[in-house]
Amino acid sequence: MQNTLEKSKGTSQSLWVRFLKNHGSILFFAVLFLLSSLFVPNFFTPRNVMTVIKQAAVPLVACMGLMLILTTGGIDLSLGYTLGLCSVLLGMMTKRYGIAAWQAIPLTLLIGAAVGLVNGSIVQFLHVPAFIATLGSGYVLYGIAQIFGKGDAFYQLPEDLLAFGTSRPLMIFAGGVPEEAMKNGLIGQILKLPSYVFIALIVAAIMYVVRHKTTYGRNLSVFGFNAKTARLSGVRTARLNVATYVISSTLVALASVLLTIRVNCAQSNLGGSNYTFEIVTAAVVGGTSLAGGVSSVVNCLFGVLVTKTLENIVNLMAVNIYLYQPLMGVVILIAIVLDAWKNRKL
Amino acid sequence: MAEKPILEMRGITKYIFDSYGVAIRNSTVRILDKVDFDLNRGEVHILVGENGAGKSTLMKVLGGLIPPDEGEVLLDGKVIRPKNAKEALEAGIGFIHQELNLCGNLSVSDNIFMGREIVRRGVKDKSAMRAKSAQLLDEMGVTNIPPETLVKDLSTAQQQIVEIAKVLSYDCRIIIMDEPTSSLTQREIDILFALIDKLRAQGVSIIYISHRLEEFERVGDRLSVLRDGQSIGTLERRDFDVDTIVAMMVGRTLGAMYENRHVPGHEPVLEVRNLRLEEKTAPISMHINAGEIVGMGGLVGAGRTELAKSVFGYRKCFGGEVFYQGRQLKTLNPADLIRHGIVYLTEDRKSEGLVLDMDVAQNISLASLFRMFPRFFMFGGKERELAEKTVSQLNVVCNSLSQLVRTLSGGNQQKIILGKCLATNPRLLILDEPTRGIDVGAKAEIYRMIDQIAESGVAVMMISSDMPELIGMSDRIYVMRGGAIVAEIQDKADMTQENILAYTIGKNA
Repeated sequence: MQNTLEKSKGTSQSLWVRFLKNHGSILFFAVLFLLSSLFVPNFFTPRNVMTVIKQAAVPLVACMGLMLILTTGGIDLSLGYTLGLCSVLLGMMTKRYGIAAWQAIPLTLLIGAAVGLVNGSIVQFLHVPAFIATLGSGYVLYGIAQIFGKGDAFYQLPEDLLAFGTSRPLMIFAGGVPEEAMKNGLIGQILKLPSYVFIALIVAAIMYVVRHKTTYGRNLSVFGFNAKTARLSGVRTARLNVATYVISSTLVALASVLLTIRVNCAQSNLGGSNYTFEIVTAAVVGGTSLAGGVSSVVNCLFGVLVTKTLENIVNLMAVNIYLYQPLMGVVILIAIVLDAWKNRKL
Repeated sequence: MAEKPILEMRGITKYIFDSYGVAIRNSTVRILDKVDFDLNRGEVHILVGENGAGKSTLMKVLGGLIPPDEGEVLLDGKVIRPKNAKEALEAGIGFIHQELNLCGNLSVSDNIFMGREIVRRGVKDKSAMRAKSAQLLDEMGVTNIPPETLVKDLSTAQQQIVEIAKVLSYDCRIIIMDEPTSSLTQREIDILFALIDKLRAQGVSIIYISHRLEEFERVGDRLSVLRDGQSIGTLERRDFDVDTIVAMMVGRTLGAMYENRHVPGHEPVLEVRNLRLEEKTAPISMHINAGEIVGMGGLVGAGRTELAKSVFGYRKCFGGEVFYQGRQLKTLNPADLIRHGIVYLTEDRKSEGLVLDMDVAQNISLASLFRMFPRFFMFGGKERELAEKTVSQLNVVCNSLSQLVRTLSGGNQQKIILGKCLATNPRLLILDEPTRGIDVGAKAEIYRMIDQIAESGVAVMMISSDMPELIGMSDRIYVMRGGAIVAEIQDKADMTQENILAYTIGKNA
């Protein structure tokens, strides 16, 4: 028996297939972007492209969290309601009780972490399937949010809170840029990007390291593929699983803070099941396997961009706005079918 | 051989594929290289070869699970190309896999008639299915399996019999058995062999894949050897000779299988006191010294795996104390124990030992990430280094370190699990059937590794149902029955098959 550790000699064709299988969402986005630029009026303008990016920022943060849970083989259907609850509580804290933003934001994140701890504990220790556990907890969270907020919304949030998300950090470089370019040019649009876009990018960068370059990220995959093997190989599976829900819900809370700031309105209906569905779609389009084990930060980023680009196209073409939801439905079905095709074994 | 063979396979070739299943045609390595194979009516044709020699692949081609890249399969002189297992079954070719494919939560009769239930007025006709199943089992001479039992309540051997009944119910003329005896006890093996004799008398042809040299003369009519994807030759029964077969399989003569060099120490590494596996079983007390290989004998289900898993904290136990290196272990859980230097190699490699969808390097490092990357971040090439070292040390045959473990042969998968366990730098190594389903060449390699590990002072607990292995490797043997230890054999001279067997089945208790 000879030891054959030679490099596999893939043909160029199989390299293509490989790229397609591993990074389908990037190609999907590229094609979508190209076609939209060619055929959708007003799509390929600096202002519109930046709009898509701004719209994608908050879902990206939430999607990073959900991706971790999907990797364990679980799911978080309470995501949208967690988002709503955090929004209401943030609004109450800052508007009704006048708590400063630098205190209210961390408190909101803590609330998110607590939600994750409860969800994760139900899944891990009571052995309830994540699907049911989070479906149930989602309605509880929604109810709590309604009771606290009394169904009201908080508008015109305090300046210090808004500054966290809407300040324009790149404007310090704006000196010397002509006014016309500032107004309509690409440079101006980039310089005027609000801070929540950068916060989202920083979160994605951190999650990239966490998911792909740490023992936590590796064990997450192992656990998602095969929990028994993980446990017998010395992975602290209970801790890992609960921690994943905590991290994820904390990120959802952060997304809630950013979204609340973005729309300048805190209310319990901010998220909801539609939001959950949108994030799940983004993650699945981003190649995340619902069976667990497989996920990638870069692909999820493009998954979010795909969903947001589609939404943008529906808006621009001024067709019936209700077209967006069935369109998303078709997209997630296609993504799941492609995922099944990709994972088909020999 | 006046009669024409009922099955012929000619020039079957299958190229090696990459981790995505794409055939690499220009590779020098072929899984199958122009293999010829034939089968006569009513004969048992044994197929042997080392792990990765291509036996399973050849049979998968026949069973319709994978298409050949070249070559053809002739059934009764006509070319057939089964596209899936069902088509093969309908052509009369039944495949009994090493890992059984039954649904545990369904009854015996539901399993036998799965996918073609007998229907009356649009409803499943349970009683008819049960009656036919009972008749089928009866014809096979099996009376102790009621058709309404759930499959998960049956023993492995009984499940195997159900699997055979299922295949026979399709009127199969050819049955492929992949390592049917690997998880059976001696008594169950005898039942199976009696059944094989009966089938042969009825004109059914059987392809029998096995690594157990001692079985060949008992069951086989002819024997073919595969090596590195090529057919080496076919022997008639009168030519069956262990040395010839082994030489054909490995292409070299083996040295002595059990050439142990380690010397057992005296300082106990593990001490178990009064541990109960179930509430009502007798308490277990045992110990393992540094550098000692302690064999655990007994039937499947005697509680050996349960004991190992209890010590490793993977399973609940009822009372008792476990001491490790002189200190009592208060709470047992696998994560802590691995960090303390205890590691357990599972008997069930696919569902408990490996992550099939991850690659070779990732599987090898699985249990030692905490040691390699104590700071949480996984930067640098340490993981690759470890994988390269392990692959060359254990002689793992793989295409590249990023090949998915799913696509490796059983023996190579087993080596990877062993490598995974060794990478944790254990002080106590618990091996559960370390050579199940592995060819002689790989077995010898694994024995040498175990001996080396013991020589370096590691305490080894080895659960084994393979008698020669148990006797050859062990310094001491505990025999278990009914969830308790019934005997401790210290003297090498007392380690005889008869002696151990007697304790196992409770003759001299």
